[in-house]
Amino acid sequence: MKRSWRQATALFGGLAAIAIIIGLPFWWVVTGSIKLPREIIQRQPTMFPHSFTLQHFEKLLQASDFPIYLLNSVIVALFSTAFTVLMALPAAYAFFRMEFPGRNTLYRTILLAYAFPGVVVLIPLYGLFAKVGLIDSPAALVIVNVALALPFSIWMMRSFLATVPREIEEAAVVDGAPTTTILVRILMPLIAPGIASVAIFAFISSWTEYLFASVLIVSDARRTIPVGFAGIIGQYQIDWGLLLAGATAAIVPVVILFALVGRWFVSGLTEGAVK
Amino acid sequence: MARLSLKSVKKRFGETEVIRGVDLGVEDGEFVVFVGPSGCGKSTLLRMIAGLETTTEGRIEIGGRDVTGEDPAKRGIAMVFQTYALYPHMTVATNMGFPLEMAKRPKDEIDRKVREAAKVLHLEQYLERKPRELSGGQRQRVAIGRAIVRQPGVFLFDEPLSNLDAELRVQMRIEIARLHSELNTTMIYVTHDQVEAMTLADKIVVLRAGSIEQVGAPLELYENPDNAFVAGFIGSPRMNFVPATVKSANGNVALVTAPQAGLAELTVTTRGAAPAAGSDVSIGIRPEHFVAADGADATLSGKITIVERLGGVSYAHAQLGNGDMLTVESRDAREFSTGVETSFGIRQSRVFLFDKQGRRV
Repeated sequence: MKRSWRQATALFGGLAAIAIIIGLPFWWVVTGSIKLPREIIQRQPTMFPHSFTLQHFEKLLQASDFPIYLLNSVIVALFSTAFTVLMALPAAYAFFRMEFPGRNTLYRTILLAYAFPGVVVLIPLYGLFAKVGLIDSPAALVIVNVALALPFSIWMMRSFLATVPREIEEAAVVDGAPTTTILVRILMPLIAPGIASVAIFAFISSWTEYLFASVLIVSDARRTIPVGFAGIIGQYQIDWGLLLAGATAAIVPVVILFALVGRWFVSGLTEGAVK
Repeated sequence: MARLSLKSVKKRFGETEVIRGVDLGVEDGEFVVFVGPSGCGKSTLLRMIAGLETTTEGRIEIGGRDVTGEDPAKRGIAMVFQTYALYPHMTVATNMGFPLEMAKRPKDEIDRKVREAAKVLHLEQYLERKPRELSGGQRQRVAIGRAIVRQPGVFLFDEPLSNLDAELRVQMRIEIARLHSELNTTMIYVTHDQVEAMTLADKIVVLRAGSIEQVGAPLELYENPDNAFVAGFIGSPRMNFVPATVKSANGNVALVTAPQAGLAELTVTTRGAAPAAGSDVSIGIRPEHFVAADGADATLSGKITIVERLGGVSYAHAQLGNGDMLTVESRDAREFSTGVETSFGIRQSRVFLFDKQGRRV
């Protein structure tokens, strides 16, 4: 399609505005983490750093508990992601394809659970975990994260399953493939982008989860990054440089994840299957 | 290779009955085609034979074995879908070998059978490709290959050619006919294309609204249809139906008249006893069965509104006195001219008589 220069200007102007709105906070955090403390707190803020230092990162890695928080977060997020994907896939398939009494009611109930604010169940969950001795354990966070991410993940996975033509499954049934084989050998490769989306969603949900991590984890050595950060913000003073360096470092695993999983987002996977 | 028999097979979706008690026997090695308009239940019936739809009532037997409640994979059938339904992430070889892999056959046997099937279908040089790298015709051949390697007792085809373009469809039709004569396996083929039905079938099953209207060899259905539906469905362009009245009846000979179509009187031999004088009937005559008006047993006349000249043949569309349209085929294009009141000759041996309910009399 040929655009006039007016349309083109409006289009690219609009895109640039959106990019700036989204990108500016990140720019601010990342550039702030390499400024000297003096420049960070100076009255006239600088868009582009005038100074350069890695002292905040040095402090972050050597003088703070950040590496431990990072490790805790990675462990909790990876397990949460793995369990979410492993449970969402068969659940979504069951809701999508299998016929059993109460299927629709159950499906709606699950979606309803997603609409439920997490804070409401915080106190009862605390009591529950206390009884089974899961307070201050990363397992508690994994359980909570999976429970919170599952409803939406099932819903997302189900809509990806709906993109696979029915005949492919039927062909597999005629070919003698059992349900698990159909799921693993046929459907999983075909909805790889969907699995990747669910994985990223679950990972980020866990990575940024603050509320439960702040209540269920008691000891400092088991804190995750969001809660750990809160510790940097002291009552009387805030080490902005350290905070910004920590925030920058916290983005890194997510970026790595996108780089790894992003490769699965290949379009046209089902091309050539039907028609 | 196997016989197939359906005994009072019924299918209901909730309250709606989509297959209303079908009885059918298919001999070993026979090529049977299910035809009918959309929604007649032909695909549903095929899917019931495959086991992809449950059977509400009745019995399905393949090779003398009751398979009504059996899993699709254990019925000894293989199915080729309209949309090919290939596994897009697997190579042609893996696609074709998949059913054998599921049956836990040894790898060298799978390889050998895939190679054999590929040879039959001229797919040898594509074995390592993915389906998306193939043309429509090649994809359909892979789907057929996946069916062949299983060496099923019955092949089921669900409109396998309707996604292909016209030229390829003709090629694949010949290919399927060749395959049937080579493999000599029972094949059941669903189509709405009556050319496919006529050319491929040993036996055609005409379905309407979930019931069988007539079963027979292609020419049998063409020459001796049981009712107006079958008569209209088989043959292209479709048969003309002209409303008429019985003037007199004597044994199995009826004298009919249709003044509004310019038909004074015509003697028709009926199948059984001729309908009583005064009954409303319709005469059926195929476009290709009109003859020159001179020397014909009788004539119909109408005003030609459109002439389609296809080269080899021409079709005249004429309007009768009652407003009905008549299609007439001719080998000679110059015979017809638009806007002219014309008489079209008919021979009594080529005329069918149907009663008001559309039953052949």
